[in-house]
Amino acid sequence: MTKSGPCPAISPNLNEKAAVKRKLPAALITAFNAAAITATPLAAQEILDRQEPLPPPIEEMHPVIVPRPLERIPTGEFGDKVRLGYRLFVNSQLLRDRYVGNDLSCVNCHMDAGRRANSAPLWAAYFAYPAYRKKNDKVNSFAERLQGCFTYSTNGEGPPVGGAEAIALSAYAYWLGMGGLMDFYELDGSVPAISDEELVKGGRREDFPMPVALKKALPVDKRAALAGRGYPPLQNPPEAYSPERGQQVYVEHCLLCHGADGQGFASAGVHTLPPLWGPQSYNWGAGMHRINTAASFIYENMPLGKSIQLTQQQAWDVAAYINSRERPQDPRFLGDVEKLRKKYHHHQCYYGQSLDGGEILGSEAFADFPRRGD
Amino acid sequence: MKPAPVALYLCLFGTVPCSNSFSSDMPPAAEVCAGCHGVYGQGLEKLGPRIAGLSATYISEQVRHFQVGERRNVSMHTLAMEIEGEPLAQVANYFAAQSVRPVTILRRGEKILFTDPAERLAYQGDWPRLLPACVSCHGPSGTGVGDIPRLAGQQADYLRNQLRDWQQGRRKGDRDGVMANIAGKLNDDEIRALSRYFAELE
Ligand code: HEC
Ligand code: HEC
Ligand code: HEC
Ligand code: HEC
Repeated sequence: MTKSGPCPAISPNLNEKAAVKRKLPAALITAFNAAAITATPLAAQEILDRQEPLPPPIEEMHPVIVPRPLERIPTGEFGDKVRLGYRLFVNSQLLRDRYVGNDLSCVNCHMDAGRRANSAPLWAAYFAYPAYRKKNDKVNSFAERLQGCFTYSTNGEGPPVGGAEAIALSAYAYWLGMGGLMDFYELDGSVPAISDEELVKGGRREDFPMPVALKKALPVDKRAALAGRGYPPLQNPPEAYSPERGQQVYVEHCLLCHGADGQGFASAGVHTLPPLWGPQSYNWGAGMHRINTAASFIYENMPLGKSIQLTQQQAWDVAAYINSRERPQDPRFLGDVEKLRKKYHHHQCYYGQSLDGGEILGSEAFADFPRRGD
Repeated sequence: MKPAPVALYLCLFGTVPCSNSFSSDMPPAAEVCAGCHGVYGQGLEKLGPRIAGLSATYISEQVRHFQVGERRNVSMHTLAMEIEGEPLAQVANYFAAQSVRPVTILRRGEKILFTDPAERLAYQGDWPRLLPACVSCHGPSGTGVGDIPRLAGQQADYLRNQLRDWQQGRRKGDRDGVMANIAGKLNDDEIRALSRYFAELE
């Protein structure tokens, strides 16, 4: 899953910058609030033309924004969509066998229900689409991007772009991002409702219905650059990553929760401690199967709660270990592992390779989107 | 005080049932434990917490923690010194297999707005403090998962003491300090409220 926007980097002064809110002139705020009620970009445009310009736009990365607490999701139809999106994101098993084909939920990889910076937060993602994506060689809307995570990360099938699920997840992401930006620029009021068609496209486009104040503060070419997007990339490890060393890291620091066999643990019908490989985990096409991506995720988030900080070397090694086990097939598979490897797997991963004379990884991959009844 | 007499005294004073009423599949080594934890490990107020339904690995591990002083408790320390190896495994399996009162399951994500701040912490955590939801490790409604213990229906006083013990360095031995780290981020009010919340789940 190649990100189209610039890679998020944590610069030491970012947090300080985040603390300083950009002030907007009072008149503008009033104008915006009026616009928010009618919520049509045209009306906002007309009002803004009479206002002072905004402070100059931000240098390279836009400081981290903080989404609003869930209590502030508005009541009514739009709020209902946002709430449904939250629910599906946290308990994706509600979509089991319809769009989800493994034991994972979105929240397992996107911490704090997609709100945590540096954990591929939804609020940063929303404003980075539509975007060109190498994986399927076309311009992806936001809904199409989240379909990708259904197909690969939850080993299922993307819900239709015009369906209630994609709309709800888009609405949740939009609400998180827009609320965070409004607070950052000190614009009161609730997040304006926009149409379903607008919701699923994403916020990185000229015709996105956005309060003009924000449009100016965050021009289209800056929107993919909200700090905290994605998982911050790690430096290359001092020593080449090694699954053998990774196994030791695993036993010491991961086994408690993910189990000796990597299958995690379930209770009350929920896979609370999620599987890291095998038939119930993400497939060979998922972003997490790349060693660099998993290393960044693990370094940033594991063990959950971060009672200890792994070294970068440990994160790389353990990422190599978990990604050197068999998992569900890459959904683009057409019968030839080697062909697929040559076509799509030029990154740091073990697909199509054999370790220590073992089977070629991918040759005994598990089924894509298995239904529970099967 | 030696282990056997403790159970005997307790049974003589009528706190717990005497040996003849012990469960028939109970291994002999578990009789003494029943004195404080109950015949089925259901827990006895003021004497010992519920240990029924915990994973066998977790039970053995905790007994070892009492033995080496990573957990401190006068009654458990004396008792724990007496048991190891095969008898400990049997006792652990016995209590692990006992059933516990079921609770209504609330899955993470089902509820969005919380009026009780303890329940909110349990279900959503407080990530700016790097505090994940309790249920993301302890399972829905804190029913326990893998080797992570059940909190639902456990004695409130016991839960509170554990969280305080971690804060004061009196309980150790959890892998990588996973739970010590969490407990360290909670304030007194939160500890009290969370302990009550999980204890009272039905
Ligand atoms: C196995 C872990 C995993 C699961 C489960 C998962 N994702 Fe992702 N997701 C990722 C990774 C990894 C990336 C980023 C890939 C990269 O950095 O190239 C990502 C990226 C995204 C993005 C784009 C982020 C951006 O900034 O461009 C969206 C949107 C998204 N996921 C939505 C979802 C949804 C919705 C679900 C649930 C259906 C889900 N994800 C489940 C791992 C996961
Ligand atoms: C204290 C328990 C705990 C420990 C220890 C732990 N994890 Fe996790 N891990 C979790 C939980 C819980 C989640 C899901 C988080 C959520 O849903 O909020 C998770 C999620 C993950 C995921 C994404 C979901 C998936 O199944 O692919 C990966 C990858 C992962 N952990 C790897 C590791 C690695 C590697 C280690 C050791 C360095 C580790 N974890 C240690 C509890 C733990
Ligand atoms: C004299 C009373 C007494 C007896 C007898 C006793 N215990 Fe305990 N046990 C306690 C108390 C009190 C605690 C709580 C200690 C604390 O607060 O840390 C405890 C705690 C435990 C715990 C920790 C539970 C948890 O959730 O972490 C385990 C496991 C345990 N006991 C097992 C046993 C076993 C096995 C035996 C028999 C060999 C036994 N106990 C006998 C009083 C007793
Ligand atoms: C990152 C995973 C994780 C999270 C999140 C977590 N716990 Fe724990 N918890 C554990 C583990 C692991 C243990 C077992 C510790 C040991 O082995 O001694 C534990 C044990 C406990 C115990 C002791 C239970 C007993 O039977 O002795 C209490 C009490 C507890 N947790 C409360 C909480 C509360 C309250 C929260 C939420 C604020 C919470 N935990 C969040 C992992 C977690």
